[in-house]
Amino acid sequence: MAVPHTVDVLVIGGGATGAGVLRDLARRGMTSLLVDREDFATGTSGRYHGLLHSGGRYVGKDKVAARECIEENRVLRRIAPASIEDTGGYFVATPDDPDDYVEAFADNCNQSGVDCDEVRVADLLAREPAINPGIRRAFRVPDGSIEPWGLIEAMVADARARGSDALTYHKVIGMEVAGGRIETVTVRDERTGSVSRVWPKFVVSAAGAWAGQIAALANVKVEMTPGKGTMLVYNYRVTDAVINRCHRSSDGDIMVPIHSVSILGTTDIKVPDPDDYDITRAEIRRLVDEGEKLFPSLREMRILRAYAGVRPLYQAPADTVAGAGNRSISRAHAILDHADQGVDNFVSIVGGKMTTHRLMAEQTVDAVAQKLGNTTACTTADEVLPGMEPGHHYWVGHRLADHEAEGGGDADLLCECELVTRRMAEAYLDTHWPCSIDDVRRGTRVGMGPCQGAFCTFRVAGLVAERLDAHTKATGRPAPGTEPGTPEEVGHAPGSGSLHAAIADRALTAFMRERAKGVRPIASGRQLQELMMTNLVFVDVLGVESLSTASALVFEDEEAVDAAR
Amino acid sequence: MPHADVVVIGAGLSGLTAATRLAEAGAVVTLVAKGHARTHWGSGGLDIAAPHAARTPADGVARLAALDHPYSYLAPCVAPSVAWMMERLAAAGLPYAGTLDTPIRRVPTAIGGTRRVAIVPQAQSAALRPWGRDEVLVVAGIAGYKDFWPLAIADSLAREAVWHGADRPAAVVGVSVELRGLGDRHNLNAMHLARRFDEGALRADDIAAIARAVERAAEGRPGRVALPAVFGLAAHAETWAALRAQLPLEPFEVPLVPPSVPGIRLWRVLRDRIRAAGGRVQLGEFVHAVRVEDGRVTAVEMEAATRTHAIRTEALVLATGGLSGGGLRATDDGRIVEPVLGLHVEAVEQDAWLVRDGLDPAGHPVEAAGVRADPDLRPLGADHRVSHANVHVVGGLLADQRSIRERCGDGVAIASGWRAARGLASDATRSPIDCEMADSARTEL
Repeated sequence: MAVPHTVDVLVIGGGATGAGVLRDLARRGMTSLLVDREDFATGTSGRYHGLLHSGGRYVGKDKVAARECIEENRVLRRIAPASIEDTGGYFVATPDDPDDYVEAFADNCNQSGVDCDEVRVADLLAREPAINPGIRRAFRVPDGSIEPWGLIEAMVADARARGSDALTYHKVIGMEVAGGRIETVTVRDERTGSVSRVWPKFVVSAAGAWAGQIAALANVKVEMTPGKGTMLVYNYRVTDAVINRCHRSSDGDIMVPIHSVSILGTTDIKVPDPDDYDITRAEIRRLVDEGEKLFPSLREMRILRAYAGVRPLYQAPADTVAGAGNRSISRAHAILDHADQGVDNFVSIVGGKMTTHRLMAEQTVDAVAQKLGNTTACTTADEVLPGMEPGHHYWVGHRLADHEAEGGGDADLLCECELVTRRMAEAYLDTHWPCSIDDVRRGTRVGMGPCQGAFCTFRVAGLVAERLDAHTKATGRPAPGTEPGTPEEVGHAPGSGSLHAAIADRALTAFMRERAKGVRPIASGRQLQELMMTNLVFVDVLGVESLSTASALVFEDEEAVDAAR
Repeated sequence: MPHADVVVIGAGLSGLTAATRLAEAGAVVTLVAKGHARTHWGSGGLDIAAPHAARTPADGVARLAALDHPYSYLAPCVAPSVAWMMERLAAAGLPYAGTLDTPIRRVPTAIGGTRRVAIVPQAQSAALRPWGRDEVLVVAGIAGYKDFWPLAIADSLAREAVWHGADRPAAVVGVSVELRGLGDRHNLNAMHLARRFDEGALRADDIAAIARAVERAAEGRPGRVALPAVFGLAAHAETWAALRAQLPLEPFEVPLVPPSVPGIRLWRVLRDRIRAAGGRVQLGEFVHAVRVEDGRVTAVEMEAATRTHAIRTEALVLATGGLSGGGLRATDDGRIVEPVLGLHVEAVEQDAWLVRDGLDPAGHPVEAAGVRADPDLRPLGADHRVSHANVHVVGGLLADQRSIRERCGDGVAIASGWRAARGLASDATRSPIDCEMADSARTEL
């Protein structure tokens, strides 16, 4: 895909907020381009606990945020039904939670507009037997779980249908500021190394925790204080509903069921660099110690891995917030107009959370529209996203139902964990071709289950390779974007090997790297044994390390990344 | 209570080696294991020693022997024990190619990478020969089998970079072969295909179909064919001979993700050999207690359907493996324990178990965890003294090897299993057993 020379708005960052901004701009008639240095949702959008907030977690400390959450919760259920599982949620008062907070909880919900019903403890325990039987009270709220990949893909599809576009693996490496405006933005294709320039009328940074680094390219100062949140993935559904502790939100106080696993969240630790953080065993201990108050048998449950995301936290100086306009922007997010630092056509959207991403996008695009003289109203809350059926939420049993419909035990499974059949993956390729194995993973959840991609990543790579071959045979030409690479593009192999092979390398080696990173802080018992066994198969039998240095992908090259910063 | 001269716990290569040699020497030996081991998820080759920079397995052994490594005392046993093993495999119709002096070379893998090997089953050996300038590599897969994707493998192997400076084929092409009746079969694994070749009814047709596809893909060029390692278990020898005779190019098998057909062939040969020599092999046995009196093991207790049962024994060979095999366990509070006898385990501190980068060439430090042993392979306690006089520790359980990165797991298993058996068999039978050790080795041991 070629990088266009001119666009109305260049959006930087392929998380939920950036995709939401792209969609909103496109729907208001502003043709835009989104770029991300990696795949969609590889930043914080793909690394959070998966909660669709009811607002219940904020009612005690930030009623504006709580109200935004419940309103957006209702909007997202309407416009993005397929990305949401209507798990429902409960706030439960454990013996450790303070009485005054529990007493005030229902009233606080009421004041913020968060639906809340007290339920009988015995009824909840019958439904959710893993919960501490010593809980005193329980309140039902409309929490849910929301899955980012399908959501972002649908938003991008909506924008593409209106003439906008999004390019993954395109990293912004420079900006030229002249006459108080960003004149050009330099973008490097991370897969091929080729560098292009874009002349945008306006630039929106939706780079989240990385917003400071993007702003610095235009000599603008944005002080981000990235907050690392660590989460633990348990290898099955510990609960069917979201379970929160009824206290002021803290560490290890929420369990979110996501598809076939559950996530225990979270910690909050400031980190200097959003790309460089470790998960410590002290954090894991803290999560499990606290989580045990909700689930007494937590220690006996198997942790699949630990992962962390960085919250895009922004500590606003008082004057900046005032400069952001008169909208009722809660402390949860802020739109920074960089005109105050001498750059007229540049805003950053910082802070916020997945649940409110659409509202953040709306407010951001309002600011952009005003500057560009566009008066079209926002319509992103009105229409169901493309490819989704109104009112049809994701349901945990749907894969099994699809699988049974294809013949049950005889269906051809590419991914045993997530029950992805060959036919499902091929159907995805049919409707999305040309695409890469990253797209297939996002679109079908291949590799997102308990094996984390060990035994299915290379199968998807194989399927895509077959499709490439068929495409070449049918058309006499390689699929667009997958041409055999030049020597610079595919490493050191003159005239042979395709970009596909380089992308497959990245997926396979990333598996090994993520796996070690995710297991390191929790390594004991069976989980360490499994890591050693996968090592044995991947290194001894499959020679995965021979691929890691074969890949030409620039972002594998840490020196190049450092130099670019 | 049944009685054995020696009980071996563990059915990996080290336990099989020890039990084979003991049974052949006339000892009453019972091998018990909870299930299959590394043979079933490895490559089926014999990785003796291929640390980075090693040119041959012998060179690798010498390099590792200079470190704190089991080879520092086992090195003299490597040559005779590997020769002993290869003789038995060849005699059973499963010949291996390569020697300790064969150059370590890069061969293709099932994800389109390369791995460094020297001693492999005959069916994998054609990959070891240097590539001629005009040779094509045809990667031929079987349509419907989902763990070997010929087009993706060929696409990857066409890149010079994955060969890391080694010579390579002039061209690589992938081809997928349709075999009769497989169109409706789903979720095939390597064992299904291996049994199909064993049964033989469709073998000739299948081989003819593969030959036609390879012929078309090769377009008259010289070269070799990479095939998934599925060509028969019991009938592997005849299947492979037929394949070699009919394909227009010389074939080699590429090992796959588990279940490993080449490894299962190896396991079957050794199991059969133990049984033929009068030994017992019992899988599904969970050892839950070992009786120890005065620092000597006297009996091994296992779970049975409705009760426990025990075997009285004069000696124990502990071949339970390292962390991946379950012979070592990591506890939540950061210790690594040996669960059968509670032997003393040497390991780095928990903070240093794993490195951040899973592809770090040095590997994870925790891989080196294990039980240290004296040159007779008896376990050493924290005080560096032998803790159990009639216990011998072999294979992956031995400390100070990083078998994944050093690629020494099979060599340590064979040498230590062979060495442990030598001492025990002479005790058990009161007659020195036939020992093929080199003179130099004899003096050292």
